[in-house]
Amino acid sequence: MATHFEIELDNLKNVIQKIGVLAENQVGESVKALLSEPVGEGKEVKKNEEKIDKLDVKIDVICQTIFALQQPVASDLRFIMSAMQISNEIERIGDLAISIIKRAKNIKDKHDLIVKFNIADIARMVEVIMVKTNECFLTRDESTIGEIFILNNTVQNKSDDAIHDIINEMKSHSKTVVSGTNLVIVLKHLERVSEHCTNIAEYVHFMINAKIIKHEKFDGKKSEK
Amino acid sequence: MKDLKKDIKIEVNDLSLYYGEKKALNEISMVIPKNKVTALIGPSGCGKSTFLRCINRMNDLIPDVKITGSMLVEGVDIYDKNVDVVNIRKKIGMVFQKSNPFPKSIYENVAYGPKINGIKIKTELDEIVETSLRQAAIWDEVKDRLGDSAMGLSGGQQQRLCIARTLAVSPDIILMDEPASALDPISTSKIEELVHELKEQYTIIIVTHNMQQAARTSDYTAFFYLGQLIEIGKTNTIFTKPEQKQTEDYITGRFG
Repeated sequence: MATHFEIELDNLKNVIQKIGVLAENQVGESVKALLSEPVGEGKEVKKNEEKIDKLDVKIDVICQTIFALQQPVASDLRFIMSAMQISNEIERIGDLAISIIKRAKNIKDKHDLIVKFNIADIARMVEVIMVKTNECFLTRDESTIGEIFILNNTVQNKSDDAIHDIINEMKSHSKTVVSGTNLVIVLKHLERVSEHCTNIAEYVHFMINAKIIKHEKFDGKKSEK
Repeated sequence: MKDLKKDIKIEVNDLSLYYGEKKALNEISMVIPKNKVTALIGPSGCGKSTFLRCINRMNDLIPDVKITGSMLVEGVDIYDKNVDVVNIRKKIGMVFQKSNPFPKSIYENVAYGPKINGIKIKTELDEIVETSLRQAAIWDEVKDRLGDSAMGLSGGQQQRLCIARTLAVSPDIILMDEPASALDPISTSKIEELVHELKEQYTIIIVTHNMQQAARTSDYTAFFYLGQLIEIGKTNTIFTKPEQKQTEDYITGRFG
């Protein structure tokens, strides 16, 4: 039979799973908004944003309570420390998804630009990273951590290339400046979503291995450190 | 604690206790909620055990003790001269720091109280013994040796046996005076988990000098210092944002 402390830890894990799923949905909606015609007024998206914010606060409260009352040590301590950080990262992802949706509405002729600069690839890759990040937290599978870092690298490189091309396009066709600028901002947002996911992967690594790897340079082999 | 009106088990009003001329408890007023665990913390000599013993009138056994004020258990002042103190001690059981099983068998330890209260039928006694040992989370460890001497049990088992013995007479309230301070960490953890389970049925008040234990096990915490109640509140609040600086200083280890 689980002790009451184990039940509290399970509860915390479930709340983080919930917030992760909400953020995954928000990222999905943002990619949909970017790659298709805008759908509806986004009431569901707005509601989910509020839910994410509330869960973020709830996680802070749960962690504070556990720290104060249970004095967790070892793997439990690492889990609680990581939980607070992960929640923070997920909340930022949620905010970025909302920003992408808002920007996407303002990109004229976006289908042409998206095709021209291979934006769909990047957006879908970020969706995959988000799914893998949630999986990684739930399963604590170290191989997924490596996959997330590799995918993030690919996103960063592709995004750099796309931004370079968009800037050149804007230089030669002034009519594309507004759309081009919005698209560059969207790409930077997508990059940030991907980076937040790698941060979460770093915290999962810390949970498993008790090693802090944030700020270390990644050469594709970070998960082996 | 203002939201607890209908869930109050014990109400203490201006309770003071004197050992001769020395005032050991100074006008304590508090409520203890029903079916919750209330922890009493404070430095050595602050009066927490003295206060605990007021609840089941164990201080009556100490010569030269005088008590003023009132202590109402479900509305009845237990210090009223018409109150049967034996009945109080049946309804308000106590577990001590040092486990004190009787030098009898495990079975007899638990059956002793019910027998004294007039239960003679073996099947009834068997049921009470099993239920009490199960509630005290020790049944599985002793069910095949109920006839063995209780003195052969480990310290942690003896303490759980003492809890079973307390439960056998169907108390409403269980007082625990540092029940785990003499036990190893595993046994301590079992006792703490048991406290969590027992509060579903009983009101529990626990004295502990181990603040972390108070934080882990209790719903409410009362901080005593030099015979005074400094602060009482939800344990979560006491250990995250206490109102009184003295409380903050004590729980952060700055004094005591």
